[in-house]
Amino acid sequence: MNSGIDLQQSVIEILSNLGLPPGVAKLVWLPLPMVLMLVTAVLGVFTGVWLERKISAAAQQRIGPEYIGPLGILAPAADGLKLLFKEDITPGNADAVLFTIGPALVVIPVFLSYLVVPFGQNMLISDLSIGVFLWIALSSIAPIGLLMSGYASNNKYSLLGGLRAAAQSISYEIPLALAVLAVVMMSNSLSTIDIVNQQSGYGILGWNVWRQPVGLLLFWIAALAECERLPFDLPEAEEEIVAGYQTEYSGMKFALFYIGSYVNLVLSALFVAILYFGGWGFPVPLEQVASLLGVSETNAVFQVVMAAIGIVTTLLKAYFFIFLAILLRWTVPRVRIDQLLDLGWKFLLPVGLANLLLTAGLKLTFPFAFGG
Amino acid sequence: MLKFLNKIGDYAKETLQSARYIGQGLSVTFDHMQRRPITVQYPYEKLIPSERFRGRIHFEFDKCISCEVCVRVCPINLPVVDWEFNKELKKKQLRHYSIDFGVCIFCANCVEYCPTNCLSVTEEYELSTYDRHELNFDNVAMGRLPYKVTDDPMVTPIREFAYLPAGTLSGHDLPASAQRAGDRPEDVAKTLKTSSPEQSED
Repeated sequence: MNSGIDLQQSVIEILSNLGLPPGVAKLVWLPLPMVLMLVTAVLGVFTGVWLERKISAAAQQRIGPEYIGPLGILAPAADGLKLLFKEDITPGNADAVLFTIGPALVVIPVFLSYLVVPFGQNMLISDLSIGVFLWIALSSIAPIGLLMSGYASNNKYSLLGGLRAAAQSISYEIPLALAVLAVVMMSNSLSTIDIVNQQSGYGILGWNVWRQPVGLLLFWIAALAECERLPFDLPEAEEEIVAGYQTEYSGMKFALFYIGSYVNLVLSALFVAILYFGGWGFPVPLEQVASLLGVSETNAVFQVVMAAIGIVTTLLKAYFFIFLAILLRWTVPRVRIDQLLDLGWKFLLPVGLANLLLTAGLKLTFPFAFGG
Repeated sequence: MLKFLNKIGDYAKETLQSARYIGQGLSVTFDHMQRRPITVQYPYEKLIPSERFRGRIHFEFDKCISCEVCVRVCPINLPVVDWEFNKELKKKQLRHYSIDFGVCIFCANCVEYCPTNCLSVTEEYELSTYDRHELNFDNVAMGRLPYKVTDDPMVTPIREFAYLPAGTLSGHDLPASAQRAGDRPEDVAKTLKTSSPEQSED
């Protein structure tokens, strides 16, 4: 398996050729991917918000944002600008410190999770050996932030909203982890790169969807619940007057929750693409096609094209699932809190366990197909 | 054991059923995305009000006989009829007439009962002002005719649902020749005039 483009090494080489010591060159390189990832995540949020508005409008036979930039693409920017200029209120009897830390604690882990999202063989910030586990671990910090902001608001509705959000996040983390575990078991690694590589080679036929259809459904339902999206958005429940744990928030602190929810949605969609749809892999195995045509794998042009195709396919797969989430939003009614917990504990958890057992059994019986 | 398996089977069946329902719902939502938006982009586009539309009330000063029927039939006695008895003519003479459209509910009872037809409804509905007292229209203001939507070069007039040809759901991008079923009110009025000229003179 060719490793493709290694941006880090090439940048460091270029810098050391310019006369910088290798240590300094590495130091110059270090912040670059992080900034790039931050920009990617924010752009992803902008696209997500814009898509949400346009697709929602289309599903309701409306037009949606039209005059804010071409086709209304600047609508999310206008939202952000408005929130930026709004007064940042801290309620009189609220615990100011916890009230401020809360939203940050919700947002930062989500952004940190982008560390392990790969867009290509070397197109990620760090190929951790605990990859997916890092994401799951980080996503379990969010309930603390939610609870913190709900409790610190000193408002009974906020507190109840925070408790609900925490209950929801905690109960859906387990089926999510079980679904991921089944995938991990097949690829014998927690690293996101290994998970994608294990699916590559046969194009669309090698993807995990075919081996884990139940896991995909489980994962997607649990991910929607984790992102607090309809039909599981009852901690916030847009149409209702009291906005759950966000009730007392305004200005940029509210914007943090808002950004956090969309970053989380994009992240979940990216993880669906990585875990079940072969990550950056193209539906047709391009490497084999290239070798058939006699194009060398070390060819620079080929590598650049492959990297570009990888990024685009990853994003396309992810945005397909965002589209699905938006479509679901206007199709399915919101569940009640007891139905939500029922679904999580009495349906998804046993199904997840059964799926895990089944995967283990299949892995033992058909090691060639299920990663023995 | 068998009972337990049966239970699981039923549960699985129910799950599949609900999954199918969600799928059907998704297909409905997806189908809606291909339909043309029904949005009327006011103020660039406006709906043509129907001929039964009860908008701002028009008043013709010279026809009024100051009988105050309009005041009596009004749910809140809104019209203000300011008249004086002219002893030489032995007639009531109207000095001012006004209706406060900030209070009016546009029921058009006054129009219905006016014996001399000096009151009529127009299709004007754009009555927003910065001060509610500006909505208190006097006889001069009430004598003005609204600008028709179809005559405004800045506005694309769009027909309402009831005025579309059979089977059409959207008033957008329709040729003017595509008419709704049945006669237009002008045509109906014409046939009435030719069939009974004596009656219409009464």
